[in-house]
Amino acid sequence: MSDKLTPGGLARLYRLSGGSVAIVGYLFLILPSIVVIPISFGGHGELTFPPRTFSWDLYTDFFTDPAWWGTAVQSLKVAALTTALAVILAAPASYALVRGNFPGKQTLSLILLSPILIPLIVLGLGLYLQFAALGIVGSTLSLVLAHVVLVTPFVIVSISSGLRHIDPTLERAAMIMGAGHATIFFRVVFPQIRASIAVGALFAFLISFDEVIVAYFISGADTMTLPVKMFSAIRWEISPVIAAVSTLLTALSLVFCVVIMFLQKQDNGSSQ
Amino acid sequence: MLTNKSTFLLLLPLTAIVAVFFLYPLGLIVFNSVNDGDWTLRGYEALFQSRLIAKVLQNTFEISVGATLISLALGYPIAMHLARQTPKWRAFYMILVMLPFWTSILVKSFALAIILGENGLINNFLGLFFGPDFFIPMMFNRVGVFVGMVNYLLPFMILPILTSLMAQDPALRKAAEIMGAGPARIFLSITLPQSLTGIMAGVLMNLVLSLGMYITPALLGGRKDVMMANLIDFYTRKTLDWQLASAIAVSLLVISIILAAFLQRSRSRGAAL
Repeated sequence: MSDKLTPGGLARLYRLSGGSVAIVGYLFLILPSIVVIPISFGGHGELTFPPRTFSWDLYTDFFTDPAWWGTAVQSLKVAALTTALAVILAAPASYALVRGNFPGKQTLSLILLSPILIPLIVLGLGLYLQFAALGIVGSTLSLVLAHVVLVTPFVIVSISSGLRHIDPTLERAAMIMGAGHATIFFRVVFPQIRASIAVGALFAFLISFDEVIVAYFISGADTMTLPVKMFSAIRWEISPVIAAVSTLLTALSLVFCVVIMFLQKQDNGSSQ
Repeated sequence: MLTNKSTFLLLLPLTAIVAVFFLYPLGLIVFNSVNDGDWTLRGYEALFQSRLIAKVLQNTFEISVGATLISLALGYPIAMHLARQTPKWRAFYMILVMLPFWTSILVKSFALAIILGENGLINNFLGLFFGPDFFIPMMFNRVGVFVGMVNYLLPFMILPILTSLMAQDPALRKAAEIMGAGPARIFLSITLPQSLTGIMAGVLMNLVLSLGMYITPALLGGRKDVMMANLIDFYTRKTLDWQLASAIAVSLLVISIILAAFLQRSRSRGAAL
């Protein structure tokens, strides 16, 4: 082959400059997630980098101070309830949207997916006005229902893509052989889209667990979630405990991110 | 195969929840923006007359467009870099993009405060060379907002561009190379035009997200970097002027819906190609 096929000096320079911008970009993306880790082991006192001492103090503070741990428990509760409810509601809806054929299907699916693209502050204000009028600002249930609305689009997208990848003739065959709706779903459909449901559930949990703006508008003093507590802590106190919370949240995100990537890969592999 | 009745029953519960906890509150905002007991357009008049609101609209526009352009300039090379990796390396680099994507914006804002602050990482480092009193203000100003926003927006820019780059046929670039095209020519006449749908999707997504941005300007910006979302919060909680807050929210909602409609169109056109 001629020399033209191997990258010449100019081509190499071009690739190198693009590549170095990319490396700077990766560093910029990942640095904030990493920088909190050493600081979280620095103990009390001023937030310095790198910390001069090593201690678990900030973690001890987090797990023993009810003002922190209590909000974390509340967030876990809200996220778990949100996830369960979102999957229970979104799975049948996704099935109807993918397999069904009815007038207004496009419009309905647009409405059900639209919470993704509406600024959270707008929804937060709307729910605040709604609950204030009813006098129920601050209940856990209202927060869960608000979060269900926010996370279901992600669950629908995930489950629908799973459904599109499986063969509907299996379901038809099961029906011809006399299986009922429930049997078809649990014995035929569910085993094939388990990974998509799991991905949707993980999305739902993490989005609800990290959601701050709507929670900031509609949670009360007794139902405050961890992100709301963190937001006010960063804004007003810059308490060093935030570094420990941040490290724990980053670790959680890393686990979720890796599991989701693994599940999606498995899903693609099995459908091809 | 699905009867009309079962389709209806499968969709009913979710649709009911979305109607009550999504469509109704949005309707309530629209209603509140023109009614505070009586029908009035005071909220919208203030939108056009208040100098504070005009300034905030200008901030929102400047910051959103600026952050989106920086995110494009940084995100495109990253997407290209990802596109030409082997699957194994791509999975590794993808984690560097997806981990921040899934990390709480509060964690990122807190970390950026540690990096950019007066006694932060960068200024401490610069202090080693220029003396302890030297520092560059990068927090509570425009710099902090841009850094925080771009950090948040980048994955939303990278992912759609990466998708459109991966969909390209590498044989086309190879053919151009064999026929003597240089890297700049290949980029300008093949790679770039074929990734326009990805760029459009990324830019629109970035704009939608940044117009409604609340956390970053609140934590990393100063008084001069207040955006629409912060103003909504201010009128709702501080001055209890729910009508004005609703009028601003309706404008934000309308702009977002318009951008989302463009996004939807660019996506369906991308799928058709």
